[in-house]
Amino acid sequence: MKPTVLRARARRLLPAAAILLALVVAVVVAGAFLVDPADSAPDPVAYEDTIELGMSSETDELMRGETAVPRAQVFFSSFQYVVGYNGIAPLVDAFDDDRSEVAFGYPIAVHVETFDGAEPGVTDDGLFAAEGTPAWTPAEEAVYVVGSEAGTPAGETAVPFAEEEAAEAFTAEHGGEVVPWLTLREREFDVDTAATVRSMAPDRWEEADDRVADARERADRPVSVVVGEDVDTIGEAVEEAPANTTVVVPEGTYEETIEINRSVTVAGENTTIQGDDEGSVITVRAPDVALSGLSVAGVGNQTRDEEAVQEPPDDGDEGEAAWDTNVQLGYGHGDAGVRALSVPGLVVEDVHIETDASGVILREGSDATLIDLSVQGPDHWQDGFMGVVAMESRATVDGGEFDGGRDGVYAHRADGSVIRNATFEGTRYGVHLMYSGDALIADNVVRNAEYGGITVMTRPEGNAIVGNDVRDSPAGIQASGTRTYLGYNTLVNNRLGFSTSSRGSLYEHNVVVGNEQGARATTVIPSSVVTANDFLDNDRHAGAGAGPLRIWADGEVGNYWEGADAPLHSADRGYEATSPVDAAFHREPAASTIAESPAARLLDQLRGTNPGARTGGVYDPTPAVEPFDPDRVAAVSEDPEGPAHADWRDRIGANAEPIDAGNASIEPDGGVIG
Amino acid sequence: MSGRPAAFATVFRREVVTVARTPAYALLVVGLLVAVGGLVAVGGGGATGFVPAVVDLLLATEVLVPLAAVVLGYRALRSDRASGELAVIRTFGVGAVTYVTGVLAARLLALIVVVGLPYVLVGGYIWVTASPDTGIYATHTGVDSPLLFVRFLTFAVLLGAAYLAVAAGLSALAGSRRSAVALGGLVLAGGVLGGDLAVLRSLSTGTPAAALPDLLALSPNGAFRGLVFDHVIGVAFEGDGPTVNAGRALLALFGWTVAGAVIAVVALGPGRFVTVAFERMRRRVGA
Repeated sequence: MKPTVLRARARRLLPAAAILLALVVAVVVAGAFLVDPADSAPDPVAYEDTIELGMSSETDELMRGETAVPRAQVFFSSFQYVVGYNGIAPLVDAFDDDRSEVAFGYPIAVHVETFDGAEPGVTDDGLFAAEGTPAWTPAEEAVYVVGSEAGTPAGETAVPFAEEEAAEAFTAEHGGEVVPWLTLREREFDVDTAATVRSMAPDRWEEADDRVADARERADRPVSVVVGEDVDTIGEAVEEAPANTTVVVPEGTYEETIEINRSVTVAGENTTIQGDDEGSVITVRAPDVALSGLSVAGVGNQTRDEEAVQEPPDDGDEGEAAWDTNVQLGYGHGDAGVRALSVPGLVVEDVHIETDASGVILREGSDATLIDLSVQGPDHWQDGFMGVVAMESRATVDGGEFDGGRDGVYAHRADGSVIRNATFEGTRYGVHLMYSGDALIADNVVRNAEYGGITVMTRPEGNAIVGNDVRDSPAGIQASGTRTYLGYNTLVNNRLGFSTSSRGSLYEHNVVVGNEQGARATTVIPSSVVTANDFLDNDRHAGAGAGPLRIWADGEVGNYWEGADAPLHSADRGYEATSPVDAAFHREPAASTIAESPAARLLDQLRGTNPGARTGGVYDPTPAVEPFDPDRVAAVSEDPEGPAHADWRDRIGANAEPIDAGNASIEPDGGVIG
Repeated sequence: MSGRPAAFATVFRREVVTVARTPAYALLVVGLLVAVGGLVAVGGGGATGFVPAVVDLLLATEVLVPLAAVVLGYRALRSDRASGELAVIRTFGVGAVTYVTGVLAARLLALIVVVGLPYVLVGGYIWVTASPDTGIYATHTGVDSPLLFVRFLTFAVLLGAAYLAVAAGLSALAGSRRSAVALGGLVLAGGVLGGDLAVLRSLSTGTPAAALPDLLALSPNGAFRGLVFDHVIGVAFEGDGPTVNAGRALLALFGWTVAGAVIAVVALGPGRFVTVAFERMRRRVGA
């Protein structure tokens, strides 16, 4: 064919092609308006792949498999991850909460676990249980049994069923009534929040006061035996002394290891008990034993049962559970200055322990009160072990000094522990919790930790970490879990001030100064409130790991970011702590010049409107113009060594003052997205 | 094919060829691509989806699309008249309406290409690359969808069409190239800033806020912004209600487009009689 023929044919085809193209464009445009993007209802995913909110799935009861919690998963319009809710109550509560709407959009699909064929029942303790595997059902198609005798460790629960008959069968046996989804959503559930934990922190402090007072009362017993007068050794004395009496140990050094099998008080004064460098020095095998005024040395150097730590027990456990068992077996079985085995009520006051293993080991329900305990560990933490190991034992640590060694206080399954007013220097971690909830870690001082000041691992619930002062450490406070209250801490000159690793938590009134990174958003799901914190003089005030844009503010109350109030910088907009420009405000005045450029302003518009669909970063829509805790900020700059503690018990107690916006220029109805 | 449709087709084709032979318009495409691509890259919204990308692009689009439209329209109807070609065209029996619609249709097609190409390229890039920040959890797109970007682009083209027609219409009135540029600038400033300023002014002089949805719909930019809020960005929220009267907004965008065309027809229609009368007079005088 000649080129002219081709050209002629092309010319004939051109109009046809143009019409076809126009048709395609018209169909696409029409389709774009006719199809509702919200109509796509995704199928449920494996619950393990969701990001979990709600109650902790690591409570003792759940981990032992004794109870089941009905779960749900939600696909939100403006959040790229599937959100799992452990418990129906937190799900209903989330629907009530405006904050989820802001962060995630509205739910486009909700699936709940239904228990029709799963042999649902109720344990003797009133906990919901199910033998079989539940199925996923769209929430609006399911029916719910409410007000039955079935509960979860967190309280009341609704039990979902796919079929009405199955629900009726459940109510026939366990009471309650059957309601549809819409009625369920109207229902009010008592859901504890991090604010509940905050309100309980002062109570926990008072409870610790009571524990200390009770302990002192317990320890105050009539003298029955005096070592050196009645008997020669402390060992003989504790054998001889009747229960509920005191063995007095006069000044001097006693070379022996002791086993206490009776509820007695051993009271020394400048008394040193020198062990034989093998095994533990004092082993307590009776409840309510008290030790005071002692120095303990000559502890063996076996830090733990290596075999138990390395060899997984062969009891069918897998993964985390096996590891948990390992740790319990291993960590609780090393040498220590004082060991308490399955005996509650131990009182240790004014005792000094020098050790290359642990200071005090509490095992299997050995709830103990440790007052002004001091533990001197080795310079290199690898050479020693914990100041206090509380294994399935509630520890109350009041005051005390922990110098060197691995962790100052290591609490494992030690719910309700209180660690306060203690000082930690050069330990790996100051305080380290595992599987331990409802604890209070308050007014402690940590310096030069090798890893971090206070760390909470696994996913416990309801810890309060308040008023601590951590400096010169790789990390100030890293607490994972749920419903953690992290407030009024002072974090200075660390590599990282604090991380927001705990979900559904409240981070407020922390003074974060001179750290390489002030705070770091670590959870992929934004479910916590970060407000009224003061960030000054940090290399970077905040950083963020993978996940959506996090909004750090509570309604109109944001945080104080030094530099956010820079002159020539519009105050009308938020502070994006993780943007390279905003992060430079407090160090480089020229940052304002670029921040006010049309290009930067163009991109600022509506930035916080759909955080859940956006990647990375920390954004405060209402940065404060002055610090929330100016006194502590001033104290830090006047005395870099510190410590600086807040009067938090007054401020969050019964007569708590309302949170000050710290910014007089913000109108209450500023239309802020928080 | 004869009569008006044929004349329209001829004018349309001729105008398309004119536009295609103007290399400056290709530069316009490149410029828009750089601006739109740059905003998406720096803004970061496009990394995760279309809605955040639209959030990043919205304000820039309100300026860039009118700018492109005015560039395409400010001399569309003036150059033929200035060069005398319009007079020649008319000798073939092409009426003012046919001529104006033919030219505007061609310019509108050009606008769709000039604006559409960069946005479609950027949209395609987002479609291919957007993904959640981490893959360790199950993910989904929520309501985010390329269809929302198509909606956005459709509104942007409607916005551009209004500016194009008005700019072209005013260009028919312009006596010189310089005044055409000035009129184009006026359209741009008046549209991008003027409409909203007028709304702000009327609010401060006591117009009730309840009138806002209707008032906003009047100016092309207000109409565009409201439509994007309601039908693109707002799809991700359970909103409190419409941010603009959508019917009026669409009507306004079409209305401005028609108004521009009418101005052009009026300017060129009576203008023809003036020219003819002038020619007759000249012949009579024998000059």
